[in-house]
Amino acid sequence: MADATLKRLLVANRGEIALRVIRAARDLGIETVLAASAADRDSLPAREATRTVVIGPGPARASYLDAKLILHAAVATGCDSLHPGYGFLSERAELAALCDENDVIFVGPTAAQIQRVGDKISARAVARAAGVPMVSGSEKVASTEDALRIAGEIGYPVITKASAGGGGRGMLVSHDAEALAAGFERASNEAREAFGDGTLFLERYVEHARHIEVQVVGDGAGMVLHFGERDCSIQRRYQKMVEEAPADILPVAVRARLHVAAVELLASIAYRNAGTVEFLYDVDRQEFSFMEVNARIQVEHPVSEAITGTDLIRTQLLVASGRGLAMTQDAIVPRGHAIEMRVIAEDPDGDFAPSPGRITRWDAPAGEGVRVDTAMQTGTLVPPFYDSMIAKLIVHAADRDAAVARLVAALDGFAVEGIATNLPLLRFIAAHPDFIANRFDTRWLERTLLPAWRARQESR
Amino acid sequence: MAKVTPEDLEALVQLFDASDWNELRLVLGETELFLSKDPGAAPIAAPAVRAAVAAAAAPAPVPAPPPSPPRGDAVPPGWVVVRAPNLGTFYRSPKPGAPPYVEIGQAVTAEAEICLIEVMKLFTSVRAGVAGTLRRICAADGDLVEFEQTLFLIEPNG
Repeated sequence: MADATLKRLLVANRGEIALRVIRAARDLGIETVLAASAADRDSLPAREATRTVVIGPGPARASYLDAKLILHAAVATGCDSLHPGYGFLSERAELAALCDENDVIFVGPTAAQIQRVGDKISARAVARAAGVPMVSGSEKVASTEDALRIAGEIGYPVITKASAGGGGRGMLVSHDAEALAAGFERASNEAREAFGDGTLFLERYVEHARHIEVQVVGDGAGMVLHFGERDCSIQRRYQKMVEEAPADILPVAVRARLHVAAVELLASIAYRNAGTVEFLYDVDRQEFSFMEVNARIQVEHPVSEAITGTDLIRTQLLVASGRGLAMTQDAIVPRGHAIEMRVIAEDPDGDFAPSPGRITRWDAPAGEGVRVDTAMQTGTLVPPFYDSMIAKLIVHAADRDAAVARLVAALDGFAVEGIATNLPLLRFIAAHPDFIANRFDTRWLERTLLPAWRARQESR
Repeated sequence: MAKVTPEDLEALVQLFDASDWNELRLVLGETELFLSKDPGAAPIAAPAVRAAVAAAAAPAPVPAPPPSPPRGDAVPPGWVVVRAPNLGTFYRSPKPGAPPYVEIGQAVTAEAEICLIEVMKLFTSVRAGVAGTLRRICAADGDLVEFEQTLFLIEPNG
């Protein structure tokens, strides 16, 4: 199918996402120009693009992060459109604005939309106006009586925090009124001693949180469709390591409300292109609250593609070409369960130090329900300048149990030599009883899994 | 610290070439020099240094070869390659209609401006980096040139 509008696309990224965009464009009959750094001039995406131009040296600030350099490459090579991928400049309003000024179609939201939802405070205002649930609490409390009244409204457990500072002073987690009444004065005094101000805030305390996000695509004219949700709770230092779709722990009614909240938030600004609304899900209360919007395609988009059967990059390109969304919400029916694991060039036995270098063996798994998104091959040099993610392993099966079994088998068949990777840790996660039982939260990896991983290392 | 001249750099390169050292890193005030005999080692071992050299538009005597061989014909021994400091549009004249900065056979000083590279209306001049005679012009006026692309060949004096 030849495309009506887009003829030549500048790909302003590298690695697996650049390759993914190049291939999706090629399927639509769109030529590609890859704007690569000198470190990536011989990369797989550089070989697969219709043309590659070397824009600058390896370090990203002089290549992938220089918006003017990239726009110059786009204009000088006759590109009519630009795909930013994720990371780098993908959520900089400056790049979207530069594209507009030079009649290059930005495959993403408008510059104004990036500004509105990219800034956290502004995004919260948009979400609140759209009626999306927010974290409750954060009211000042002056006395034990006040605290008991507000806690009664919010519901236990609650946490007090010092108004004047952090560091644990004045912090008190209470699971019932008795504990709050007994500890409030002491917490207030603690805050007064530490900061000279005994004022406390009272917030709802989320003991078991899940990171759940909703994938959407908007046509820019007010129509926004969702492609289900993802559970991305397995994180290390706020970096996602494992992502799944759907979030099996969600009750049906909560899932439906979550989808509506995400769609209404982005429909309220007539959002254009692919985006994600991230929520914190309180497992015990079965409630979600807004965290932030990611105004770009995300690393973990393939799990949503797997369950909905939709190519989201292709959809991005079609929306950018002005064809809109040639589908309805009813037609998007999630099927089965998908899990993605991020393969990272870092040493899980060496404090997660990055391990760039030459890959001497690359054997990735394949087969029914197994997908590997990567730009690596045997002989590829992993440069030291960029994010160390080298592949995404995605499995899809009829249900979560079947997907976990497929994941374990795929991980066993994944062999990388020449550099350290986190594959041994990923195998350890996939075999852990908590993971198999879908029993974890956002703190699980650091609190439970990593100590078990280290203990296993020491006992060997 | 006294200013480092192109002649100093050349002498250092000759010393390094004659030595059995594999790498040399020299910091003199704000000037940093990184020399390596391993074509793959330089960009990885000292990316910042290489970038600094390129940005200063004085890459001439520094043997920091790109990962793939330079474009075009082989460079005669002793001649110096002037490369593009980044991607951009190559202009041989200071403004449209004006005569070119340099012609083949012309003598240039190390400080001589020999072309412009434009990125989104921002023009950066490129200097010869070495005193000598301009021997070859490797890009056409108005061409899009890529990072490290060969622009000129200069035969250094004496």
